[in-house]
Amino acid sequence: MKTGIFICHCGHNIKHTVDVKRLSAYFRKISGVTVSEDYAFVCSEPGQDLIKESIEKYDLNRVVVASCTPGLHGELFKDVLRKSNLNPFLLRRVSIREHCSWVGDDIEENTEKARRLILSALYGASHYVPLEEKIVDVTKSALIIGGGVSGLSAASFLSTMGMHVYLVEKEAELGGHVRNLKNVWPIGQDGSVIVANMVKDLESSENVEIFTSTTIESFGGFFGNYEAMLKTPAGETKIIVGGVVAAIGFSPFDPRLKPELNYGKDERIVTTLEFEQNKDVLALPEKPRIAILHCVGSRDEQIGKAYCSRVCCINALRVGDAIKDKYKDSYVESFYMDVRAHPKGGEEFYEDIQEKGVLFTRSNIAEIIPTPKGLIVRGEDTLFGEPFEREFDLAVLSIGMSSPEDSKLIASLLKITLDKDKFFLEAHIKLRPFDTAVKGILIAGSCSGPKDVEESINHGRASALKLYAFLNLGYAIVDPFISSVDPKRCSGCRMCETACVANAIKFDEVKRVVHVEEAACMGCGLCNATCPSSAISLRGYVDSIIDDEISALTEAIQSQ
Amino acid sequence: MSEDKTEKKPEIVGFACSFCTFKASEMAGSLRLKYPDGVKLIQVPCSSRVDPAFLLKAIFEGADGVFVAGCHPGDCHFIKGNFYTRRKMAALKEMLDVFGMKDRAKLFWVSAAEARRFVEKVTGMYNEIKERKNARKEN
Repeated sequence: MKTGIFICHCGHNIKHTVDVKRLSAYFRKISGVTVSEDYAFVCSEPGQDLIKESIEKYDLNRVVVASCTPGLHGELFKDVLRKSNLNPFLLRRVSIREHCSWVGDDIEENTEKARRLILSALYGASHYVPLEEKIVDVTKSALIIGGGVSGLSAASFLSTMGMHVYLVEKEAELGGHVRNLKNVWPIGQDGSVIVANMVKDLESSENVEIFTSTTIESFGGFFGNYEAMLKTPAGETKIIVGGVVAAIGFSPFDPRLKPELNYGKDERIVTTLEFEQNKDVLALPEKPRIAILHCVGSRDEQIGKAYCSRVCCINALRVGDAIKDKYKDSYVESFYMDVRAHPKGGEEFYEDIQEKGVLFTRSNIAEIIPTPKGLIVRGEDTLFGEPFEREFDLAVLSIGMSSPEDSKLIASLLKITLDKDKFFLEAHIKLRPFDTAVKGILIAGSCSGPKDVEESINHGRASALKLYAFLNLGYAIVDPFISSVDPKRCSGCRMCETACVANAIKFDEVKRVVHVEEAACMGCGLCNATCPSSAISLRGYVDSIIDDEISALTEAIQSQ
Repeated sequence: MSEDKTEKKPEIVGFACSFCTFKASEMAGSLRLKYPDGVKLIQVPCSSRVDPAFLLKAIFEGADGVFVAGCHPGDCHFIKGNFYTRRKMAALKEMLDVFGMKDRAKLFWVSAAEARRFVEKVTGMYNEIKERKNARKEN
């Protein structure tokens, strides 16, 4: 065995709390280790060259890179091996950053933990065998779930690029929440016009099939060939798609969850959405007194929504703007925690509104009490630290965005993950914001967290582009971590056959042994753990690898 | 971590599903959450890959505690792998009970988003075992 160990400093991230020099010196003495180096950034070009040169110089047959978590830079290091004519599956990554230097403070303890993790990887990797990547054909079509602006923009991008698109919307009409907006900030356009423009393009393209009032009954299959059963008003339809963009949007926060605001009990208490739809017909006195409440359903741990909904500050400002435009002598007071007018031009808009005469009071609102004369708003001024009580004719609640009501259902169908607020979880919030943990299933728009109209459209387009890049290749490289059967050991008990979820194990009636259908195997390893004869092995995770990893992790415990 | 140097420190080997718990542990790192260095993970594609024999091996080789952590019931990427894990763990615990080692093995459900839950679970298990390991000294 000729193993090369490369320990990354990750700048200071690892070096700071792990003695990398001591580790690289230690591993130089271990049998089977030919090269052991530590380097500032192994993922950098010079770092990659170091690996490549070492492979060529010492004819290495295993490479262990101890750095960040395997999920990051996985393909990058595999490519280094490929370029050096070494099978990429002879690479082993060890996470000594996320699982070591970042989670402990003591340099001695961390170094010891890192030593054992690398040792375990070294032992495990010694059982690695070269594997061949599996290539499968992909269907060049996409399923877009949700016909809001992000779904529409994803669909229109994919259809322009020549993909076949199935757009599924559970409501009877496309357009989502944007359809009902009268004045989309900052352009001032009617939301229904924006939606109509987007829909027009789609309806005229031949490669788009739009299913409204449709839900997804079942979903299965794998990247490149997912199968979905759609329940349309006309009956059930089965479609096969290469990938999915889930763009199911959000649900507006229901202010009834904050009973102290008395929403729904008095018609003078409205949400920003209702205000926008009815602002021209609202019965208001000549000099109306209007209260605008920010952060209703956002930044509020009491109702379990600690996040900022990002769009509601601008919505609240727009309410103030609309009232001041119509009623010059109105008294408008905004009750805010912080004004986060973050989109382009937002801060300037905020200043304009202040100049127009909207008052801003930094406060916590305790309750709204409807009386026949007016609405009494009670709260605490958090700058003066004093309680206040004021009377208004109308209270507008700037409601936040909650996770879509179907997020749980769709997540369990697609096998993707939800975050703590029940929005879809990104594979990596910065590096892979459109991907989920499942390949070929992407997320777009506010279903992964609050976004405004512009961001949702961009997000939809970006996810579509990402999916297009996956599908346009026409094939997919699948990790070869699938099971295989040793027919000599197989007793034909067929326990694995019953256990296999993918129906990938088939029994040969003549030979009385089982075999694995490679295309169907998902690579979970359940059969491997089930087989009483140790006849099935999951490649990449065979028993000997895990056995030796355990031994390496526990070795030092015995010697204590 | 400021621990008494004379205290016996437990060693825990955990098997983490790569779709959920391993991701949660990555996130715990990114969030700089702290947990004891005695907790070490082995990544598996699904919790159902874990043969109870692995847990026994780890215990017999000296681990003070072992755990398997997978996706919440119903959330398994491989549809029902974690149900098999649950059954196997129940059987294993019954067996370990005979040797008075029932508490050595645990099963957690931790989703990819639950970095804090991951840290709570492993720290809780660590402290429990540590207390037991050091019980005699306290008397």
